[in-house]
Order: sequence, then structure tokens, then C-alpha cells
Amino acid sequence: MMSTRSRTVVDELALRHLDAAYNLGRWLLGSEQDAADAVHDAYLRAARACDTYAGGNARAWWLAIVRNCCLARLAVRNKDTRNVAIDDDPAAAERWLPHTGAEEIEENLDSSKRTQQIDAQLQKLPVVYREVIVLRELEELSYREIADVLETPIGTVMSRLARGRALLHKALTGDGTTEATHGL
Amino acid sequence: MDCKTASDLLPLYFDGELDRATSREFEAHLDACAECRNALVELDTVRQALRNDAARHRAPEALRSRIENAVTAPLATRSPRPRSTWMALAASWVLAFVAGGISLAAWNHGSGSGGEETQLTRDLFASHWRSLVAASPIDVVSTDQHTVKPWFAGKIAVSPTVRDYAEQGYALIGGRIDYVGTERVPVLVYRHGKHLIDVFVLPPAAPSTSAIPVRQQGYVLEGASVGGQAAAIVSDMDEAELTRFQALLNASGGGD
Repeated sequence: MMSTRSRTVVDELALRHLDAAYNLGRWLLGSEQDAADAVHDAYLRAARACDTYAGGNARAWWLAIVRNCCLARLAVRNKDTRNVAIDDDPAAAERWLPHTGAEEIEENLDSSKRTQQIDAQLQKLPVVYREVIVLRELEELSYREIADVLETPIGTVMSRLARGRALLHKALTGDGTTEATHGL
Repeated sequence: MDCKTASDLLPLYFDGELDRATSREFEAHLDACAECRNALVELDTVRQALRNDAARHRAPEALRSRIENAVTAPLATRSPRPRSTWMALAASWVLAFVAGGISLAAWNHGSGSGGEETQLTRDLFASHWRSLVAASPIDVVSTDQHTVKPWFAGKIAVSPTVRDYAEQGYALIGGRIDYVGTERVPVLVYRHGKHLIDVFVLPPAAPSTSAIPVRQQGYVLEGASVGGQAAAIVSDMDEAELTRFQALLNASGGGD
């Protein structure tokens, strides 16, 4: 009885938060196929590990599994391509920041230029900042929930969020191609 | 509030993580400080850009149907392992029901791991004491069980049975969520005279504490059952008051 019920809970959970899971995967991995595969992995893992789920915040528990599956894929990929690794050092992020690619993006795209630009800037953020921004601003998770997904203290969530926002703000306003026209 | 404090609180205010009183203090500072207002506008610029313009990728239909197909597949082909664990858990739950109250039986399953026992006890006491020194021991302030239960429903997987016992002298004053080990558990907060009572509704997989009641520095930890779930009461009430409250909780029965 119990196993069927808990399994149904996991199924329901995965399907209800499938968009959130996929969105996180897509932003972490940057590829549709990889994101879909990572979410599928995560679902299988969640179904096997449903007994670790009792009592926790369901969405955070599920997204934590998704994130771990994504990071595992990223690690494999980084080994192959010598990508810019997950980087916790703000100074390194600063050096990386100078706005390469802004021009090409502008030329190539006549429609939804702004969307493309923001996507590009967000995608260029180091993963540690990108993931908190996606979870907070796009998925609207609370600090506590993000801390549960990342399995880190709330203080770390706050500092990464602040750093990520500052980098994005700089990237979005600093290159002069767009003016920040939004106010409160 | 000075500017230094305000700038520390700014992201918390912006993300809706401040309590109401501090928010009001912050807003008073905001009225007087252009610098902090600008910082807030800056945060909002980034948020608006992201929410209006960044892609929120929707799961492709192919992925959805992949998972839906896996869902309809028989359990045995997918996860042969957890069945026994769950059977054991289910058994301990049945025991809890049979015991009908003090779920000592459920708590005892798999005891003997001495370290874990004391860890659970320590967590429960620590949580209670922390709540006593905090500005407010509760996250949702309400004497209405119909407010407290839905508040939990939005935050944890299993929302506990919430009953008010004001007529019997144990008034529900709210609830909060706290960690026991790595688990987030709902805590129901009651008041009896000047005593504050925490009722931790434990997850079925919680480690056992064999020797209850436990006494520490004038506080008592006692077992109970809330709507069929194992629970722990922590308070500084005397024994008679505690026993009466425990009986009320145990009588709450399954479901609600």
C-alpha cells in the first residue's frame, strides 16, 4: 500500500513541477536534449529514492535531484571540452564579464532582440550564480527552498544571489546597447 | 534604521523575506533615503528584465510523455528495491495506530542506534529553545486551525492534522516549520497559561527516541500521536498538564 502511494506522490510531483525541472535543466545545461535527459534521469532517481522524501519540501526535494543530475552531466561535459568550470571566485567572474558577443547578437536578430540578449547574458553567468537567479527570479522559490535545492546555508544563497544580480545588472546596462527603462 | 542596516536588509525586503514589522521599519528608511531607493530600483530592473524577457523553458511534450509512460509502467520493473523498506515503515505505522497514542512503538522501530536517538532529542529541545528566544516563536500566527493547516500545505509534503484545544485550556496560537536533522517538520504551537508548547509532527522515517519522556533543564519531551502521525511535545508544563494535553492530542484520531 505504502509503496504504491509514495510512488504516486513522486509521479505527481515530477509531473506537476516538470516545467520547473526542465527550465532549471535547460538553463544549467544550455541544451534541450541534455535538459530532457537530465530530467528523465532525475525522475528515475526520484522514483527509486522516494523513501528519502517523507516530510521535506516536495518541490525543493525534486529540484535538488534534478540539479544533481544536471551537475553530473556538466561535470562530464567539462572534462571533455575544458569549459569555464563552475567558478566561485567573484574576481574571475569579473574578468570574464566584458561584453563579448553583444554585437553579433544585436546584428543577427531583428525579433525579440532583448529576449535574446538577456538569455545570452544569463547563460554566460557562472553556473553558481545562474542557478540561484533562475530559481529565485524565474521559478520564484523562497530563500529557504533554494537553500534546500542547493543543500547550502541560506547565507550562501543570499550572497550568490546578490553577486549574480550585480553581475547581470552590469552586463545588461554596462554595454550601452540597452537602457534600463524599468522602474518600480 | 541606518543606511548600513537598510542596505543589508534590502534584498530580503525585495524578495519578501522580511517579517512585517521589519518591513515597515525598512520602508520608513526608504522614504528618507534616495540611495536605498535607487538600489531597490536596480534590483527591480534586473528582475523585470528576467521575468519579462528571459525564456522560461517549458518541458517539451516528448519529455512529458516519456515520464507519463514510465508512470504507467508497473512498479516492479522500475524500482524493486524500496518495497521492503516501505513495508517496514508501513508496519511501524500500523503499530503506531494500534498503540493508539503514545507512539513509543513507532519510535522504537530500529532503535539501538544510540547516536541518532540523542540527536533527535537534542534537535527537538534546541528547536524549542531557539523559538523561545526568537522574536516570534511562530511563522504563521493564528488561532484558527483552518488557517494553520493550509499554511503548512503550501510548504511541506504532508500537512498535519491541526486542532485547537482552546476550550480545554490549550489554545492553538500558530505554527512554524523547523528542521529535525535534515527533515523539515511542521511544528504546532500551543499556549497553556504562560507555557509555550511545541508539537513536532515527525516524519514516519524519523529516528527513534526510546526513553521518553526526556527531561532537560526543566523542559520535558514527551511522545504523542497527532492524527495518527508520531509527534513530540516539548514544553515546560508540569506533568499533570502535559499528560492532559497528550491525551487530547492522542484523541485527535486519524485524518481530519
